[in-house]
Amino acid sequence: MNKQLYLVLVLLLPLVYLLYMLFVTEVEDPIKYIYSITGATALTLLYLTTSISMLKRAVNFIKYRRTVGWFSFFYACLHMLNFVILDMELDLALAIEETLEKPFIYLGNIAFLILLFMAITSQKSLFSKFYKYHKVIYVAILLTSIHFVMAQKALSVDQWIYLLIMGIIVIFKFLQRSKILNI
Amino acid sequence: MNYIKSKDWELPENFVTDERLFNERRKFLKLGAALAVSTAGVMDLAAKEFVPSPNLEYLKEPNLQKLTLNSYEQISSYNNFYEFSTNKKDVKPLAQNFKSAPWRITIDGLVERPIQIDMEKLMKKFPLEERIYRFRCVEGWSMVVPWVGFELSHLIKHVKPLSGAKYVRFVTLYDPEQFPDQKRSSFVALEYPYIEALRMDEAMNPLAFMATGLYGHTLPPQNGAPIRLTLPWKYGFKSIKSIVRITFTDSQPLNTWQKMAPKEYGFYANVNPHVDHPRWSQARERVLGKFLKQNTLMFNGYENDVAHMYKGMDLRKLF
Repeated sequence: MNKQLYLVLVLLLPLVYLLYMLFVTEVEDPIKYIYSITGATALTLLYLTTSISMLKRAVNFIKYRRTVGWFSFFYACLHMLNFVILDMELDLALAIEETLEKPFIYLGNIAFLILLFMAITSQKSLFSKFYKYHKVIYVAILLTSIHFVMAQKALSVDQWIYLLIMGIIVIFKFLQRSKILNI
Repeated sequence: MNYIKSKDWELPENFVTDERLFNERRKFLKLGAALAVSTAGVMDLAAKEFVPSPNLEYLKEPNLQKLTLNSYEQISSYNNFYEFSTNKKDVKPLAQNFKSAPWRITIDGLVERPIQIDMEKLMKKFPLEERIYRFRCVEGWSMVVPWVGFELSHLIKHVKPLSGAKYVRFVTLYDPEQFPDQKRSSFVALEYPYIEALRMDEAMNPLAFMATGLYGHTLPPQNGAPIRLTLPWKYGFKSIKSIVRITFTDSQPLNTWQKMAPKEYGFYANVNPHVDHPRWSQARERVLGKFLKQNTLMFNGYENDVAHMYKGMDLRKLF
């Protein structure tokens, strides 16, 4: 239990950092900044969640998987709230129009719905029934990675690193499924 | 006995405030006052206060439109200058050792008087003036900047373009020793040197401005020292920085961003709230330092000065 609490505190650090940057120091472009921090955190935690699943036979951290996954969803929620409240300024019609019109935005929104589904069905009572559908996390990983790359005007080393991690996860999973890799 | 008798109005030594403290008394007072307001307020005060002391002589702009200026700190700490880094916050620290003097500019192509001119001489050729311009980045953020410089048209008239000159092409310095992103062998963000261009009538428009300063001070390297273009009715990427070459041509040059992503960035890049970027809307903008957005204006609010140049053009196609 204690370890779970430490984990929660660590997972809250990006939020503390974000709030510190926004309200104690000055951030030039706050809306963009909220997108960057919450988005990168959500994506990193998503990578971490799948890594826990894939490596469970080598290192068993499975009991922390739900907490990490849940926090990925938490940061995705903040990301979404930033979109609806600050960026779209609560104009829901505009938010929907933008979603339908722009691949960059609908890829992000589809990924969010996948995470929402996983968050709801991760409760103990539902998980046994739905866990087999939780493979959609790989779809979410692909979509969010593409969405993340599309948010940039040009690709820099940082984005390439995210893409590389995504590539490793996808290839690793494929090798694992096809029994070439026995971990 | 020889001693100096204190006058009765004299205070004992230990009543005297230390000179160092005395000199900093205003700072101390401000700090106290700001602390009383809030912690965020202190940072705000510190951020808004720093402006280097002016070192340029120029004609002040009265700011008749009453635009609210962004702080020097904001303008000089959030920069798109890919030659240094694609991360806007990393540009300033990486640019600190940039050598912008001596600096030579080559003006060539279809002109009567092709020249190579040193920056120092160029600065003396034209009287400097201030222009308070809105600046709108294609990414959706904006700011208001008090530039110092001279009209591009003055320079163009000086070199006398030939009648065949239809476009003006600008090139940024190529120097991998100074620009880390030009030095990379892989994962290079853009193709260098950076190139931008204008149609002749656009270049001659009185709004087209060569900036050599900011807030009355010579440009800091991260903002494009020693000389850059500022085109307030166009997206920021047209306002090319650290210019070394200006060439007059008869055909439309291919600008860097159009070459990189022709579906997303065109030759004109006029600010237009009705034509979206394929990935995001251009209808509204995020002013630096603010949580709330504001409407983007047609031609960034300079419609009266520039709209006539684009009459009859389909701005959806020629974005």
